[in-house]
Amino acid sequence: MRLLAPKHPLETISTSLRLDLLNLVYQAGEAHLGGPLSSLDLFISLYFSKLFKFYSTKNKANFDHFTLSAGHLAPALYVVLAKAGYFPHSYLKNFATLTSPLQAHASTTAPGVEYSSGALGQGLSFAAGLALGDPGHYSLCLTTDGEHQEGQVWEAAMFAKKYQLGNLINIVDHNHYQIDGAVEDIMPLGRLAAKYLKFGWSVISINGHNFTQIIKALKKAKQKSHYPTCLIANTIFGKGISFIQHDYHYHDVKNLSEALYSRARQDLKIAK
Amino acid sequence: MRQVFGDTILKLAKTNKNIYVVNADLKSSLYLGKFASWYRHRFIECGVAEANAAAVAAGLAKTGKTVFLTSFSCFSPALNWAVIKQSICLNNANVKIIGSHSGLLSGTLGATHQMLEDIALTRCLPNLEVFSPLDALELEKIITTSIHSPRPAYIRLVRPATPVVYPASRPFTIGKSLVLKEGKDITVAGYGPILLEALEAQAHLAKKLDKKAPDLEIINCSSIKPLDVSTLKKSLSKTGRLIVLEDHQKNGGLGEAIAATLLSQNLTFRFIHLAVDNQFGHSAKDPKDLYNYYGLSLKYLLSAIKKILN
Repeated sequence: MRLLAPKHPLETISTSLRLDLLNLVYQAGEAHLGGPLSSLDLFISLYFSKLFKFYSTKNKANFDHFTLSAGHLAPALYVVLAKAGYFPHSYLKNFATLTSPLQAHASTTAPGVEYSSGALGQGLSFAAGLALGDPGHYSLCLTTDGEHQEGQVWEAAMFAKKYQLGNLINIVDHNHYQIDGAVEDIMPLGRLAAKYLKFGWSVISINGHNFTQIIKALKKAKQKSHYPTCLIANTIFGKGISFIQHDYHYHDVKNLSEALYSRARQDLKIAK
Repeated sequence: MRQVFGDTILKLAKTNKNIYVVNADLKSSLYLGKFASWYRHRFIECGVAEANAAAVAAGLAKTGKTVFLTSFSCFSPALNWAVIKQSICLNNANVKIIGSHSGLLSGTLGATHQMLEDIALTRCLPNLEVFSPLDALELEKIITTSIHSPRPAYIRLVRPATPVVYPASRPFTIGKSLVLKEGKDITVAGYGPILLEALEAQAHLAKKLDKKAPDLEIINCSSIKPLDVSTLKKSLSKTGRLIVLEDHQKNGGLGEAIAATLLSQNLTFRFIHLAVDNQFGHSAKDPKDLYNYYGLSLKYLLSAIKKILN
């Protein structure tokens, strides 16, 4: 008999939001999916761990910052924001339509989104600016591994060390894939953790789908220090849907067939 | 112009604690040494990394600061344009982008540093205001005015010290042009110190004591965006002739902006555009030689005046 570890309370949310994400992509006809599935648990940890207070209509003065640098992960952020009550769940149905505030890439038109993004590599600099200008709060940023091919990320890494931005936390969704294939083939990152260490950051490597590990790491990153923290979250591209996992062709999905949609639902229900 | 920029920022920073400078290794060139040592915590040095600097400036601005992003225009807004588009303009961050060494006036530095495309790059960006001062005095007025606007702006500076001709009593207003000299025959519009050529042309024509010598109306379009269309319309309904003079590429410059706007309002007028025509710059000891080489000097303006009359 196999002994199962007790289920983390956030796992229930994760299972249901993964289904929301699939429905959003299916209804939209065209949306990013592989990355949103790999990063979903990271967004959930930020918004449901109670470790941070982000901007909301009820909290306009005293808040931590969250910059989604990789704007194409917006579908994951949106399902989490809907669940957290930033806007009605029904908004998800109209994702990326002309009358919807939920644009395909993260946009401040959506309630709860602090930074409009889409072009990779800029968010960490923006988050560093927020960290510098608001030292009394945390500035969190979510980047992807492929995004680290942009030189600006490393400009920001140097900058954050120089200005001792201990309130800056960069979470890297390290899912090993990008639009055209494996990161390792397109442009290898080498030892990402070692690179951040050499740039003068604190580094924590975790399993990006294990809520106990994510939350422990976020708590550690919150501790006062002069060092910015890079949280490398090792994740699974397309997590939870068997035929999408590790297949970069599902970076973005166009017109998912009904058969594949049912198969994907089946996968997610079994996981439940 | 550059020294006045440094002095103005220093003066404003004394009472306005929200003013920050985000710099990309051009502190001494922009006369920011005193600011950097007096207001150490408000001087953010990014090094030679203009893309990072632009997005850091945007993030900082979002925490309520008024941020001056300082560099040469060939680096900012040129090198970091996509960052300015997304992080500053799309996110509507209150960043004033200071781009020095614009135009042929950069002289010896040559093609890479003579930024001739900055107006084209900036006037197409939503949310961004674009200003180009006539001289150091107008620059001071533009800086002082722009900090009261919550919008991002691009402010074009030139390298050399140029004569001050802006009337001290006249304020700078966003979206307003100043008629430097009223006239009835030809409208000459432009921005920056190249307008001195137009003033010189007028002096030259006045000296002729010929009653038939044309009378120029010279308009300083320092607020390139938003553009003061009504002042131009008023002038052209009188003169029916327009010469746009600019130290910039023809493509994407003020001439195109004015022509497109006025033609779409069914205004007809004769039009000559004096600007750099699809060429790169070149080193020269005296920038005036470059104005001659690229067809923007007094000589060329006088022949354009002759041509537009016939």
